[in-house]
Amino acid sequence: MRRKGILFVAIISLFAFTISPAATGGEFAVGSKLDNFKMTGTDGKEHSFKDLQGKNGTVVVFLSAQCPVVKAYITRIDEIAADYKAKGINFIGINSNHRDAESLEWVTKDAAENFKFPMLVDTDNVLADKLGASVTPEVYYFNADSVLVYHGAIDNDRSGRNIEEQYLKTAFDAALAGKTIEKSRTNAFGCTIKRVEKATAGN
Amino acid sequence: MTRFFLHRTGAAALLGLFVFLLSLNVSAQQNGGSTSAARPTIKQISEVELLDLIKPKGKPLLINFWATWCIPCREEFPELVILDDEFRGKIDFITITLDDIEEIDRLVPRFLSEVKAQMPTFLLYSAKEDAAIRSVSAEWRGALPFTILYAPSGEAAYSRQGLIKLDTVRSEIERVLVPAEVKP
Repeated sequence: MRRKGILFVAIISLFAFTISPAATGGEFAVGSKLDNFKMTGTDGKEHSFKDLQGKNGTVVVFLSAQCPVVKAYITRIDEIAADYKAKGINFIGINSNHRDAESLEWVTKDAAENFKFPMLVDTDNVLADKLGASVTPEVYYFNADSVLVYHGAIDNDRSGRNIEEQYLKTAFDAALAGKTIEKSRTNAFGCTIKRVEKATAGN
Repeated sequence: MTRFFLHRTGAAALLGLFVFLLSLNVSAQQNGGSTSAARPTIKQISEVELLDLIKPKGKPLLINFWATWCIPCREEFPELVILDDEFRGKIDFITITLDDIEEIDRLVPRFLSEVKAQMPTFLLYSAKEDAAIRSVSAEWRGALPFTILYAPSGEAAYSRQGLIKLDTVRSEIERVLVPAEVKP
């Protein structure tokens, strides 16, 4: 009986150890509430999500110092961030890439040169795993109560030449007007977040 | 005088032959030499044409989505070439690049030539990327590289967002090939 109990615990432990959002392809669903978290920024200081939140919501945007798609979006991201900061929506940049792929010095320099909002360093891609983020750029827009209301792409066109749908701005405008966000989940092509190797069922 | 004329004519002929042979050599080098494969041609497709490519056609279908700007995509491409060599004729294998349209006859064919890729390659150019991604797989978020294997029925048998492992993809292909081969 005791051996059966040990076997049961071992199986459950193995299951819990193996399954994670990153391994299963699971993601932080729209409507979920994000708990407060703390993370060190490229300024060397520790920041909390709570302290960086805007009164009308917060965007967590996963970025990269080397991804060409992110580079193509820098101007657009900065413009949107500036426009909506005035409307009470704050941006937080997150770099979850493995330090072997992007050094801290590189990320710090890139953040200082390109972005006017705080850039946090997600060591061991803990936040990326929690939210199920897999690509850069990828945005998560939380309302004032930290509930996810939009997740996905900034707009429909990486090049910026044929923008037909401004997904993120449309979500902002709907939320600020107290309306339902019609398109709350989108996808777009981008660079894979380079994660640290973890004990998951890789394929 | 006659000997002098013959000497000059012979020297001119030799010089002409030398120049002719040199020009042949330069021409061969410019064309990549006789041992090089022809420069690959890449066809542009929309998200609607992508749907047609995915439709079942009787064989397993392996698709790799990539771009020349994607470093891991470039890293894994030699392994895709190995898979293509191993399973040519047994499966359909295509690659789809997400490069800018300007690269369709520049960086993309240059890279494919470098890695000696022979599988058909398409460049997806669409203002509806979200629709294109969803049509390929519900598991895919758009990160590159992305590799997906469809069984002959059209059902997704395997997919991988990120670098592939050669042995894993090889065994997945063999798994979807087996049922077709045991049929009478």
